[in-house]
Amino acid sequence: MEPLPLTEPVLLVLLSLAEQPRHGYSILKDAERISGGRVKLSTGTLYGALRRLLDSAWIERVEEDESPRDRRPYRLTSRGRRNLQLEVERMRHLTKLAALRIARKEA
Amino acid sequence: MPSFYRWLLYLYPSLYRREYADEMIAVFRDAQAEVSTGSFGERISFRARESGGLLAGALQEHIRIISGSYQLISFTRFDMRPEFRFPRSTVFLMSIIFVGVILAMEKANTIQVKYAAGAGSIWPSLPWFLGLTLLFTCATVMVIWRILFALGRTGVHRLANIQPGTNRTD
Repeated sequence: MEPLPLTEPVLLVLLSLAEQPRHGYSILKDAERISGGRVKLSTGTLYGALRRLLDSAWIERVEEDESPRDRRPYRLTSRGRRNLQLEVERMRHLTKLAALRIARKEA
Repeated sequence: MPSFYRWLLYLYPSLYRREYADEMIAVFRDAQAEVSTGSFGERISFRARESGGLLAGALQEHIRIISGSYQLISFTRFDMRPEFRFPRSTVFLMSIIFVGVILAMEKANTIQVKYAAGAGSIWPSLPWFLGLTLLFTCATVMVIWRILFALGRTGVHRLANIQPGTNRTD
């Protein structure tokens, strides 16, 4: 199971799949888009993250008869979505605290 | 590059290859087609990123099989916690060191061939040579990474110990 806080590739993959099921290349492009072009995942890093998430049952393969073997889509499981929400909540708390401290220091 | 990519995939465990190789090659082809219209720098950066990603991924998979855990070690810059990330320049410097080692070995090979003609080659067969080179590179990267990790940790601990509002008198 992935511990919190999540690593950046894992977080980007989960955020990408939170919107809709995607196959590998689509995840790669969406991760780049989400990060504003800052993060360009290699296929090795992407499939390393996908493998870990599949093993932890945070994501699953969408079984479609018409999808070719080399373009199998993935989707978030309810467990993955719940953990992503926890991570976003953790980050929200952190940014809120950071904003407060910065504001206090500037005042 | 696709044939080189396929070759690098053989570094992964066979089970992993059976499960993901087709997908990875398809994604790589799509990404390569997109970057092929880019600048020379973008193409080089893409190849370096892909090669590095595969080497790190393969090593991580083998360690996962041996240790049975994903948590033992992280290899890529993005796998690290933000406070422990090493700068991009480190990757660049490590690449230069790696190229330097390869060039030195090539030079030594040339000298050996030139001055020891007729004698048997001191170099092992190609697979052994490549395997040892990979092993040496991984060991070097691991050592450098651990040093940087330790340095990063020391720095973070110092920062964490700074008390807000404490005035220095010295």
